[in-house]
Amino acid sequence: MIGFRTRNVRTRLTVWYVAVLAAALVIYAGIASTVMVLQLRSELDRLAIEDLETVEGFLTPAPDGSVSLRNDYHDHPYPADVQQRLMEVWSADGKLLYRNEVLGGRALSGPPTPGEGVNSYSERSVRLADGTPVRLVSRHHLLEGRATVIRVGFSEEPLWARFWQVLIGLIIGLPLALGLAGLGGYFLARKALSPIDRMARRAHEINAEHLSARLDVENPADELGRLAAAFNETLARIEHSFEQLRRFTSDASHELRTPLTAIRAVGEVGLREKGTPEHYREVIGSMLEEAARLTRLVESLLTISRADSGQLPLAVSEITVLPFVREITSLLEVLAEEKAQHIVVSGNERALVKADRGVLRQVLINLLDNAVKYSPAGGTISVRVRPAGQTVAVEVEDGGPGIAPEHRVRVFDRFYRIDEARSREAGGAGLGLAIAKWGAEAHSGRIELECPASGGCIFRLTLPGEESRAIPERDIREASEIVR
Amino acid sequence: MRILVVEDERKVARALEQGLAAESYAVTVAHSGEDGFFRVSSESFDLVVLDVMLPGRSGIEVLSAMRRRGLKTPVLVLTAKDAIEDRVIGLDAGADDYLVKPFAFPELSARIRALLRRGKQETTLTLQVDDLHMDLIGRTVRRGAQQLDLTPREYEVLEYLLRHRDQVVSREMLARDVWKEMVRHSPIDNVIDVHMVRIRRKVDEGFPTKLVHTVRGVGFVLKGEKS
Repeated sequence: MIGFRTRNVRTRLTVWYVAVLAAALVIYAGIASTVMVLQLRSELDRLAIEDLETVEGFLTPAPDGSVSLRNDYHDHPYPADVQQRLMEVWSADGKLLYRNEVLGGRALSGPPTPGEGVNSYSERSVRLADGTPVRLVSRHHLLEGRATVIRVGFSEEPLWARFWQVLIGLIIGLPLALGLAGLGGYFLARKALSPIDRMARRAHEINAEHLSARLDVENPADELGRLAAAFNETLARIEHSFEQLRRFTSDASHELRTPLTAIRAVGEVGLREKGTPEHYREVIGSMLEEAARLTRLVESLLTISRADSGQLPLAVSEITVLPFVREITSLLEVLAEEKAQHIVVSGNERALVKADRGVLRQVLINLLDNAVKYSPAGGTISVRVRPAGQTVAVEVEDGGPGIAPEHRVRVFDRFYRIDEARSREAGGAGLGLAIAKWGAEAHSGRIELECPASGGCIFRLTLPGEESRAIPERDIREASEIVR
Repeated sequence: MRILVVEDERKVARALEQGLAAESYAVTVAHSGEDGFFRVSSESFDLVVLDVMLPGRSGIEVLSAMRRRGLKTPVLVLTAKDAIEDRVIGLDAGADDYLVKPFAFPELSARIRALLRRGKQETTLTLQVDDLHMDLIGRTVRRGAQQLDLTPREYEVLEYLLRHRDQVVSREMLARDVWKEMVRHSPIDNVIDVHMVRIRRKVDEGFPTKLVHTVRGVGFVLKGEKS
């Protein structure tokens, strides 16, 4: 059956169904007729044994050494469906003593074999000279001190006639039954599979323009319902990522268009006026600034697209978080100083994470830069490192006005800005937090935003890590100072 | 000093030709890999600026062929892709330095100077522009008679500016060479700007001659009156 292919499943199902049914019916017919033959045969055996026991008492030896059957035996009633009895009596040494008329001179079997019927009745099937099948029972019998073998048999012809009758009946009935079953199976399969055809037609109608369409789920509990539900889930995911892509593309082109527009406008206006070299220098400088902004934007987009396609391999190493955080705060400290802000770093000295230094650095720089940008002048920014079981959390808390609930979910989205004008002035393209989120997730970590009612925002970066058992250097130094 | 620029993009090639000529190099431009290879094997140059993405024969192929021929001319590779593999391929093929497009011209010019200077022993112990003196051994700076109080980072930036005196230094160069930042992001630019404001205050405030200048859209330059 391997390699058997048809155009549709229902034909295939029907063919399989009929084939299996045919095999089952053939096996059934074989077993049923065999059992019937065996049963009928044991019935014959039982009759023959009964007869034989009766016959034993009616045998009389004649003076010439032969044996005859007493006349009154014939009054013994026959079962209606059994043919006439066939009977032979042999002497143990191989002399035929009696053969009844029904046999008409045909030998029931040759001289007795040694041991035939000695211990119990011996049954066998033989064929007479004219081919008649006969069931035969032999019994050793002492007739007035003389060892004889009595054989009683019945023709098996009616038995085999019954057998063929039944078999032919089955053979004729089989194709009929199979035909009916096949027809029924075909219609059942078609009925069962028709929802799949409907689903296929529906699925064909769903394309990029109509991604919101879904398959109908008739019965969510059955197999087809589950299939449709799974398909719908996939569609929903595709629609979601399609929507994300569409938004990303439109946002990205918007972001790219802004500096391009500025370059064109500044250049065109600058050309129109006749100016001093200083004026032209200003114009060109302004255009270059926008070009630099474009460059940065394209670089960020490249980072994101590489991250999306998993092309950024992480060089993971063990990092002691607190010194790493201090390194970054000292880098950005000047920005805070300009706004008279304080950055306070605290936390566990021994917290370790396994991360890519470059990526983790970028994540923390983005978070901290954000905090500096949105905290008011004179405010305080707290960075806390705290290990918690299998993770290490780095919290960056700013003293800003907080973020309204409707913006909280979307601050990590690409190009998302809470305050369009202000953030653009601050130089961001709305990618910093998106990159931070990617960085966290690339390390199987996460980034969350919490806004306490008291004001400010806490960005919490959680990475898989641990609290190291090793004593940090500072403790060793302190300890040695104590010893001294 | 003769420089060969192999670059197929005509606008870029022309800008490089003009920019380098303005810095008194003798510039030859080739617009294809074949032409570039022909020129570099028939003429003698002090340095080759080689674009990777060239029609026909790629920059990497030209470079490998040059090195196979035993040409030891320093080569600065320009690549549009900044994937690490590309850099590695370029350096493996025998490039002496690489620059990722889009690049700032001052940076290209600084790299070219560095390559041409390579191998020459540095013996300076002090750097000077006008009355600004930097003592590289004692790590002290004074303007005229007045000692300047600089943070270590400010000192490094000023040293970089002094070493590139009269040349425009871009934010990219400062980020990479002073801050050792490999990834470019806006916070670093802001950090650089703040440092520049402070350096300018310390160096120039109260002096009639301003030494630290901003070149809008490009970067910064340390320039004395005499130069």
